[in-house]
Amino acid sequence: MFSMKKTGTILCALTIGLSGVLAGCGSSGKEQSASTGGTSQPAASTASSGPVQIDFWYALGGVRGKTIEDMVKKFNETHKDIIVKPAYQGAYQENHSKVLASVAANNNPDVTMVEIASIAAFADAKVLEDLTPYSQGDEKKYIPGLMKNSYWKDKLYAVPFNRSTPLLYINRDMLKEAGLDSNGPKTWDELVSFSQKLSKKEGDKITRYGFSTPVDIWFYEALVFQGGGNILSENGKELTINNEAGKAPLELWSKMVKEGIMKNPPGENYNAWDVAEQDFLNQKVGMIFTSTGSLTELKKNAKFDMGAAFLPANKTLGTPTGGANLVMLAKSTDAEKKAAWEFMKWMTDTEQTVPWSIASGYMPVTTEAIDSAEMKAFYEKEPNFKVAVDQLQYGYPRPMAPGYKELQDVIQKELQRAMLGQATVDEAMQAATEKGSKLLKK
Amino acid sequence: MYRVVLASRKTVEWIGLLIVGFLFVFPFLWMASTAFKTMPEVLQFPPTLLPETWEWSNFAQAWESGPFHMFTWNSILVAVGILILQFLTAVPAAYAFARYKFPGRNLLFGLVLIVLMIPGQVIFLPIYVQLSGWGLINTLWSLILPYAASAFGIFLLRQAFMQVPDEVIEAARLDNASEWKIMWTIMVPMAKPVLVTFGLFSFIYHWNDYFWPLIMTNSDEARTLPIGISSLHMSDGGTLWNVMMAGNMILILPILVIFFVAQRHIIKAFIYQSK
Repeated sequence: MFSMKKTGTILCALTIGLSGVLAGCGSSGKEQSASTGGTSQPAASTASSGPVQIDFWYALGGVRGKTIEDMVKKFNETHKDIIVKPAYQGAYQENHSKVLASVAANNNPDVTMVEIASIAAFADAKVLEDLTPYSQGDEKKYIPGLMKNSYWKDKLYAVPFNRSTPLLYINRDMLKEAGLDSNGPKTWDELVSFSQKLSKKEGDKITRYGFSTPVDIWFYEALVFQGGGNILSENGKELTINNEAGKAPLELWSKMVKEGIMKNPPGENYNAWDVAEQDFLNQKVGMIFTSTGSLTELKKNAKFDMGAAFLPANKTLGTPTGGANLVMLAKSTDAEKKAAWEFMKWMTDTEQTVPWSIASGYMPVTTEAIDSAEMKAFYEKEPNFKVAVDQLQYGYPRPMAPGYKELQDVIQKELQRAMLGQATVDEAMQAATEKGSKLLKK
Repeated sequence: MYRVVLASRKTVEWIGLLIVGFLFVFPFLWMASTAFKTMPEVLQFPPTLLPETWEWSNFAQAWESGPFHMFTWNSILVAVGILILQFLTAVPAAYAFARYKFPGRNLLFGLVLIVLMIPGQVIFLPIYVQLSGWGLINTLWSLILPYAASAFGIFLLRQAFMQVPDEVIEAARLDNASEWKIMWTIMVPMAKPVLVTFGLFSFIYHWNDYFWPLIMTNSDEARTLPIGISSLHMSDGGTLWNVMMAGNMILILPILVIFFVAQRHIIKAFIYQSK
């Protein structure tokens, strides 16, 4: 369906003829490209007399996207010398591909959101700018537990923006009714016993499950950490899940599914998340794992006393952090980079991160924000929102390796194979390790 | 006796068709019904088939969540612009492949068929870089130009042109009609059902296309409806499905209208093809 070289030249002629018909689109678009094209012309920055214009790509839709647009508007109103142009670019994955393409074509944005496990890939490809010269120690304002995915080879490449941890969501009414501790299970053993008591059967049919979680790499990471394990070796070159800590999560989940006390929600990727959340809201399951990012919406729609709790512990408590960071692109001009840092600093400052956190359910990113009177008052009223922040003391960074984006797909596929009974736990871990090592050696 | 068997066979056929038809229409009806529900009702279990209260405001909410009039206008420009260019390139190409013998014809046609088999996602990067070099990224041109020639259109039209009897063309040539004239005034009208069908395929594909516009454009000024609607979806849960479905209804409405208007031609095209 694409033009070949030969037709290309003919088309040029044709399109000139047609430009009368399509005049409306050509002109409005041209202006756009002229402004974004500034990145490839260094002259623009030296001769800059007006405000610097920078592009900011974000990856959150719906109400959250709207909040981000409003924040940018406020920034533009308060900064006369900088104009930030925000643009929604699809979900994390789509934004990821798009940023890489735009870097290859020299029309990249200046600031963008990157899912934290992809930071290493971007940094390793030299797409990102080292932030140390800009921040000059300013990065100390961020919560240390959120910074572990910001560094690659000892250089600062990212600042936290919309950050989360997985939480255990519980239906307190259901727990009370079953005579259980309404603060939720504290350990894996309790998770099993609670689930047994919450599950209901009518004849052969299970009408209510105690527990449900998407079989997702993120929750798997959490459970591996809780067993004292790690996904990658210290140097990031080997997959270290073919051992007791790596197998334990799968053994726990598949045992619970077999027993009929855990539901494995169907659907690819985020669809499974939606299923789990809807089952929870409909009281078809009593407890689920999902992101703190869902807190605001779940709270709004739950018709029962909903609580959030730490993920239950195995040998220890443990959780990965999640969400996305803000990064600056290495190909921007000096003037753009200066403006970009100004913008990144502002977006993640206490004054912005507090309302952002309250509106979205993501965690505030500065220590000052957590101690602020406004946040404290909010937590007093909504203690569920504080759980993720408290859990951070048991937080681990997401595994850092340039190939982790591909690697997590490999692991996740094997997890699902084991959950669906297409492979034993040993086979799945063996296969994941073999395929994963190949990716890491690349 | 025989008549009874025949009648009951008819009934079975009817029931079978109804079931299959319902299976295909159901997802659509489900979308339509969700588009009118309130959010609590969407999440309700067991689900309701028809909305208890008709929430018309979902449509307004979807429409007002972004510059949708601009998205719609862009979608029309892109889908129609592509269609016009594809007709202008596919008709002469198909005519040449169908009616001329020239060296390398089979090789060239083979290349066209190869293009049919390569998904756009595989080769988007070089095209992106090229368009960026021309300064066309984030313009409607970047959405139109890469699709200006359609391998599928050439293939389909060539088949149709090959079925036109030689006598018709010879008669026209005897009357001193130019090749240009033969092509546009004889071949094209005779292939009208195929042209309409191809036009529909092309229009629907580009109207619904999500990947290409997302990659090629950065700002609302150059964006199309599917991207506007996808921005209603939240990444970490909490999507308003009723508003999302209302947005989808807005997206597919024009296609439905066109489909009902052109239905007759589509059926004709397939009968024509299978002759």
